[in-house]
Amino acid sequence: MNTNRHPIEQEELMAYLDGELSADQATEALSHLELCPECQTLAADFRGVSQELLAWEVESPEVGISSELNAALGERLQKRQAAKVTSSRLENRVMTSRWVWAGALAIVCVVVGLKLTLTSRKRNEDRSTAYPSMASIEKYLMPDRNAEIALARSAAPEAISSDAKILLLGWRGYETAIEGKNGFVCMVERSWMSPFNSADFWNPKVRVPQCFNPAAARSILPLTFKRTEMVLAGLSKAQMIDSIKAGFDNKELPAPEPGAMCYMMSRAGYLNDSLGHYVPHLMFYFPLTDKSSWGADLRDSPVTLNPQFRDGPEPITEFVIAVGKWSDGTAAPAM
Amino acid sequence: MGKTPQKGCSVSAGAPTMTSDEALMLEFQGGSRAAFEELFARYRKPLYGFFGRRLNNPERAEDLVQETFLAVIRAASRYEPRALVRTYLYSIALNLLAAERRKFSTSSTLGQSASEPKTDGTPEYALWVRQAMEKLDSPDREILMLREYEQLSYSDIAELLRIPVNTVRSRLFRSRLALKGYLESEAKTNPGLRASAWQPHPRRRGPQ
Repeated sequence: MNTNRHPIEQEELMAYLDGELSADQATEALSHLELCPECQTLAADFRGVSQELLAWEVESPEVGISSELNAALGERLQKRQAAKVTSSRLENRVMTSRWVWAGALAIVCVVVGLKLTLTSRKRNEDRSTAYPSMASIEKYLMPDRNAEIALARSAAPEAISSDAKILLLGWRGYETAIEGKNGFVCMVERSWMSPFNSADFWNPKVRVPQCFNPAAARSILPLTFKRTEMVLAGLSKAQMIDSIKAGFDNKELPAPEPGAMCYMMSRAGYLNDSLGHYVPHLMFYFPLTDKSSWGADLRDSPVTLNPQFRDGPEPITEFVIAVGKWSDGTAAPAM
Repeated sequence: MGKTPQKGCSVSAGAPTMTSDEALMLEFQGGSRAAFEELFARYRKPLYGFFGRRLNNPERAEDLVQETFLAVIRAASRYEPRALVRTYLYSIALNLLAAERRKFSTSSTLGQSASEPKTDGTPEYALWVRQAMEKLDSPDREILMLREYEQLSYSDIAELLRIPVNTVRSRLFRSRLALKGYLESEAKTNPGLRASAWQPHPRRRGPQ
């Protein structure tokens, strides 16, 4: 492959398929891949090799913790418990003999520290997150329109996303870039769709490709529009929360329709600084529902309760199920 | 070619959460049996696959999974959260594997023992893939296996094998192209076998 004609090298293309590129590099790779038949062939070759390797399966027997392991575990936990008790007794003795001095010292510290604490509180709060406030809007926009379209489409298998409506984020909110035919809507969500207390709420690197089915496009997507509209208007988090609550109270915002779900199967997304690309999954939306009704978060259950709206102003419960393939059909890690 | 699951301890748009391996390990250090049992449940099968493919001896693979967790118990106090539990476990597994090979003077990365891999209805094809893997250079093969089967990230593999990340990437690239060549060459001599491999296979890797 002549790298003069390709903005990415072959190894980079492989790294993209492995989910090893940064969000920006991945977007560039995806954008080029959409247009380059030569790279598509190479990508198909890599995927084919991975697919063929899956034939070599190793079935694991259902074996639990062995008696030897169990004994070692018991011994370790017993020692740990004993150490805790010893440590606690020692601590009590030391504290008893020194409590008067410690108390006096504490009073002095409180008096001196109070002033320092009050004056530095705001500074400390700001340091508690890497993204304390909204960055300039252009940091959240994608300058390459085609790259954002490709990224949005990568949320679902091509059979779904190729006929979906595509939305792009612009200076004034989400705008239709391509009209769809199948009722699905694909777009790239930004950080402000995170929980309001998330450290990544203002993280400008976040790019979350999603394809909503028709029911979700009608009943969940309006939440994205609402939050985006308020963010671009410069509202505070408290104002946004109040406005969303009011929106549900006065029925301006709809409840999730039966069957509302979305695809999140892109390998090129960037969910947050901790999860990166994460794993491909599907999300299902309901009015507030007990997670036990889906067996969510139980051991070995494939269903997880997503905290996106938990304790937030939206009265929505969202379940997540990881799937085995990225939208391009390649195998993905199990949860 | 999926990415390694990340630590699931933070939240964002559309991102589910679960207790991270690292949090479980810290809980175990603090004396929680339940945390250990959860780690065991998460990694028993992946570790069995790790040993199973490299030794091809189901009984020993099972023993070594238990030995891996035994090592975790014995060294629990030394674990530091700066290392991913996943990487930590595979580093123990690699050490145990090296010791096992020394014990039986096995030079090949892939097992030479008598038992055949469990192939779930496609034994010829699985064997064919395994034979193609055996043609790769040993270091390249190990990297490819750590990526494809253990689904470790480039940086995890680099850390485990103590080589630069760029070396991981270039060797992975080389081994995938080589493997493609081997598989295509085999396919020419036995086209029916490869075609059968592409039949729907309900037990292939998927959500677990």
